[in-house]
Amino acid sequence: MIAAFTAVVRKDLMLEARGGQSTTALVALSLLVLVVLVFAFDPGGGEQGRAAAAGALWVALVFSGMLGATRAIAAEHENGCIRALLLSPLDRAALYAAKLGAAFIFMALAEAAAIVLMVLFFNLQFDVRTMRLVPAVMLGALGFAALATLLAGISSRVRGGDLILPLLAVPMFVPALIAGVKASAMALGGAPLAELATWIKVLVAFDVMFVAAGYLLFEYVALEE
Amino acid sequence: MSAAPIEARALGKSYGISPVLRDVTFNVEAGQSVAIVGANGAGKSTLIRLLAGLAAPSAGAALLFGEPSRALAPALRRRLGLLSHQSMLYPNLTARENLEFFATLYEVENPEAAAREWLERVALGAAAGTRVRGFSRGTEQRLALARALIGRPDVLMLDEPFAALDAEGAAMTAALIREAMARGCAVLASAHSANTLADIGFAVHVLSRGRLVPAEYPGSPQGMVRPAAVRQVS
Repeated sequence: MIAAFTAVVRKDLMLEARGGQSTTALVALSLLVLVVLVFAFDPGGGEQGRAAAAGALWVALVFSGMLGATRAIAAEHENGCIRALLLSPLDRAALYAAKLGAAFIFMALAEAAAIVLMVLFFNLQFDVRTMRLVPAVMLGALGFAALATLLAGISSRVRGGDLILPLLAVPMFVPALIAGVKASAMALGGAPLAELATWIKVLVAFDVMFVAAGYLLFEYVALEE
Repeated sequence: MSAAPIEARALGKSYGISPVLRDVTFNVEAGQSVAIVGANGAGKSTLIRLLAGLAAPSAGAALLFGEPSRALAPALRRRLGLLSHQSMLYPNLTARENLEFFATLYEVENPEAAAREWLERVALGAAAGTRVRGFSRGTEQRLALARALIGRPDVLMLDEPFAALDAEGAAMTAALIREAMARGCAVLASAHSANTLADIGFAVHVLSRGRLVPAEYPGSPQGMVRPAAVRQVS
């Protein structure tokens, strides 16, 4: 099973390296969101600027995450490849884990680029405060990848699925979104990691819940009725 | 007595209020081959999807190795090979990469060697490094057959296996199907016409509007089934 799991992740990474569409689109979308918000808010420096930067970063995470999840599942439906995966001996929960792993890697790369763009556009510094963003952003990326991978399995099989995915994903992500924005704003304000603990715990709980839900439910949402 | 590898028991499928399959019952024993023939919309592909476990029946049971195909354990899924309308191949992977990937999923001992072997067997050795996106429909079909067979399945389901194939491809496909039959594989195939399948030893069932019907029935398309090759459905 480990070999099959690794093969699925490697396959997704290989396809992305060849096509590059998902990661490029994720980075481009993050850039667009950050540019629009920095000119919309005109935050300047100080606490308001840091709060706006944190919010913009998480807006970019959500939009790019939805795009990435949609494209990842769409790629499996091309030529009916998802059926081949479901027919194979690969445990379906392991299949979910592999798809989640690949989605998380893509989101992490996109978020790394988004953090760099955020620092540049919001006139912040590459310092220890920026580094303190990383746990919250990575936990948020994992949680959103888990949620979106599961929901994309549903939305890909229904008419209007492209509309259903954001309608389902965004409201369900709100708790993690709030926690992530709060933790990120505090981190950019110089708060030590210990002060972010409450919000980090919310993100961890969200991740545990939706990774477990995806692991248990993916088989049922991926198969046709 | 061990269960038949493929078994349909009063199998039915409806989408909404529209029945697609109704009360389909038959089985395929190890080493046997059965062809389901019918016109467009008869329910052939739906039948294969149900038996492969890709869709849930509305009535009756679809069984593989005696177990519901929808809830098949991974060890039993490893014994199933499917050739579908869609090739189930990744367009941006090469022919070799596709076969190595699926060989790994099917726990083949040496995926790289198996991929090389099967590329040669379907006469695609020279195209091993070509991405599937650049293949013709017939070439993709040959590679898809290799994908279905690379795990040496005990049950093989083929949805219109000769579609889009030239004479050489059809002969190659027939030879591979015969080989699978010879090693005891239970083979189920669907087609519009039974002639080619009957020639390689398939017993033929006719599906019409979702039901298995007697072999010669009023209104059967001209030349669709050779009466001598057809088993009367009881």
